[in-house]
Amino acid sequence: MRDNLPVFVYILATALATFAVRVLPYYAKFLGKLPPFVARAMRLLPIAALGPLVFPGVILDFSPAWYAGLAGIGASFLIAYTKGGMIFPILISIVATYIALML
Amino acid sequence: MKSSAKQESLTFSRGVREGFPICVGYFPTAMAFGLVCRDVGLKMWEAVLFSVTNFAGSGQFLAINLLASGALILEIIIGALLINLRYIFMGAALNQKLEEGIHGPRRLVLAHGTTDEVFSVAVLHNQRLSWTYMAGLQGVSYAGWVGGTALGFLIGMVLSAELQMAVGVTLYAMFISLFAQELRQKGIMVLIIAGFSAIMNSILILLLHMGSGWAFVISMLGASIVGAIIIPETEDLP
Repeated sequence: MRDNLPVFVYILATALATFAVRVLPYYAKFLGKLPPFVARAMRLLPIAALGPLVFPGVILDFSPAWYAGLAGIGASFLIAYTKGGMIFPILISIVATYIALML
Repeated sequence: MKSSAKQESLTFSRGVREGFPICVGYFPTAMAFGLVCRDVGLKMWEAVLFSVTNFAGSGQFLAINLLASGALILEIIIGALLINLRYIFMGAALNQKLEEGIHGPRRLVLAHGTTDEVFSVAVLHNQRLSWTYMAGLQGVSYAGWVGGTALGFLIGMVLSAELQMAVGVTLYAMFISLFAQELRQKGIMVLIIAGFSAIMNSILILLLHMGSGWAFVISMLGASIVGAIIIPETEDLP
């Protein structure tokens, strides 16, 4: 946190940003009629966010054991893709990372 | 269905009933969020405050990630704005279906409770959405989200010291689980878009030494614009 602000300031700032986009369409009616291209790009944003939320952080965080994080997310991907859910894939990934770090 | 019009009216209890599956679905995800909050050093009240004031899955995961990586507050705000932009469409659609006469604080409360899941349940009704129905639907979903966060944080407190280091993978595992679910439901396009943004972010950070917050914003915007270009107009969007 390079700004050196208390954590709750970040939390409330994020909350305000989130609330702003939520409340806007209830008052500004034109937002329901955006150009299709802009609408498509906006709806893809949450998927586009997933890539940079994982890479390169998952490799850098465990350096020099860079493979440990990869083992963890590999395990969670397999479980989540085949079985679905979230808690179980996360628990498995913790175990896989733990084992990789102990090797 | 039409013959039982009385039963079909959108009451508070119907909102609660229809919101219950959302509540159950939110609970484990919120627990994961609470676990992550503890892992990156937040206090329990801060984790709960996060869920109470934000009530936004991907937005909160993004914010806690950027917070942990030392991003500037402006970077976090822009990131949260972008990842939550989709609520504009959901809000616009729900707004057109609301009963007349919902104003002031009630309207603000309804806006705060707009989530992907609440939207997808509410928007399917062919009748006007009442305040009481929406309050039930959103209230029970909100309870699941906030309650799950608190419980997840508490579970994190009983983890052994040896596991603490490995728990650092939690946040990434959560995003990869989300990715796996999206990929399974929506197909290869999810891999192309998320893969593109992952590579772009890695280049910006590792080769161009850009700050993590800005690199994130640029990668996310770039990948969604590329996605909007390459996905045919007719294809169903994620």
